[in-house]
Parts: sequence; C-alpha cells; structure tokens
Amino acid sequence: MPAVETKYFGSLSYAEDSVFHFPHGVPGFEQEKAFVLIESPEKAPLVFLQSMTRASLCFVAFPILVVDQSYQLAIAPEDLDELGLDTGRQPALGAEVMVLALISLHDQIPPSANLMAPVVLNLQSRRGLQAIRRDTRYSHQHTLAPEAAGEKTC
Amino acid sequence: MLVLRRRAGESVLIGDEIEVELLAISHQGAKIGIRAPKETVVLRKELKITQDQNTRAASGPSAQDLEQAIQKLRPNSRTDPPAR
Repeated sequence: MPAVETKYFGSLSYAEDSVFHFPHGVPGFEQEKAFVLIESPEKAPLVFLQSMTRASLCFVAFPILVVDQSYQLAIAPEDLDELGLDTGRQPALGAEVMVLALISLHDQIPPSANLMAPVVLNLQSRRGLQAIRRDTRYSHQHTLAPEAAGEKTC
Repeated sequence: MLVLRRRAGESVLIGDEIEVELLAISHQGAKIGIRAPKETVVLRKELKITQDQNTRAASGPSAQDLEQAIQKLRPNSRTDPPAR
C-alpha cells in the first residue's frame, strides 16, 4: 500500500479508496486537492482529513450527526452538481455521502465545530468539497459540550 | 449600518471607484453587480468566514498535544467501553 506523511500518525499506509479529490481545495487551502480520510479506532468518533501534499495540514473532524443528531443537510444544487450527485434532492448520509464538521481545537477557547460549512465526501466518486450553506440555520462555531460529544459514540 | 432602498437597475456608489448595482430581484434573492478596481477583493462573506474558520481549524493541536486536546471533547470519566 502507498504511504503518506501525516501530521498526527507519522508515515501512514492508506488504501486508495480513502483518498478524496477536492477539485477546488477548501477555502483558505485552495491548493490542497487531495485528502486522505483517516479513521482511527482509538480516536473514534473523531476522524481526520490529512492533506496528501502537505504533511502539516490535517483537519480534525466529527461526522456531522455526532455533533447534532438531527442535522439537516442543505447542500446547494451547484455543490451537488460539483460532487456528481443528483441536484434534485439531498443525498443519503452514510450511503452516498459522508458529511464532516471540521473541528477547531485550541487551548484558550472551547472546542467548536463548523456546522455552517460541512465537508461533503461523495463515497462513490471519491470527490469532496466544503459545502457552505446558503441559510443561517447553523453556526460556523458551534460550541462542543464535552459530555455531549463523548456520549454520542454509538 | 447604512440602509438604502434601491429598485432593480439602480446603483450605490462607495467612494469614487466602487459601484454596487441591484440587477434583479426574485423570490430566490437579489442579484447584485459590483464594479470595483481589480485590486479590491470581493468575497461572499460566508466564504471569508469559512476561510478564517478553516485556518483556525488547521492550526489545531500538534501531534504531541493531540491526545490532551481530544480529552476536552470527552467526558472526564468513562465507565463503559464505547458502544460498537
């Protein structure tokens, strides 16, 4: 298996089907076109999006339902099109797409999740993008309560 | 915040070089056109927010500090093994 230099796991072997292509990168990191999804059992339900080209860039994320189990997707038609998905409906979580909330973890401030702009991974085409919501229903800095985040591992 | 009422086809000038024109209004929203010098950065605000938030997320814990940082997301004492 090929290996990638990672921020948190040293040199890591990965399966080809855990690599996702981001044709436009993500906002602020437009040059990063490929990320490998790392799911480590000891760190579950946390997952990691490691840049394939920059070892120092690794996003820490939660599957969106871990943060909010009643989260409602609202991916814009343009983004669905970009992902190669049916633009007439929202995709099925888990079956067609994996949706991740990027986490900010810093010493001085409470951890937060970006529910306004989740990362959407098309599980079939292995394409990904960060889908910024057009509505204002969810915060880009949703504070994570420690109890809540830990309890929803099932 | 300065609030102005404009009809489709009408414009607002900001300084000498920036013009914001309300092109059309529909039930989906207002379509606006912006004329500004090349060096002026024009961004949808939510894109800028996402850039900033991504930059913050990317400057998370170092490899050494990861475990400690993750603890902040977990309950202090865990008696049961995590459910499968």
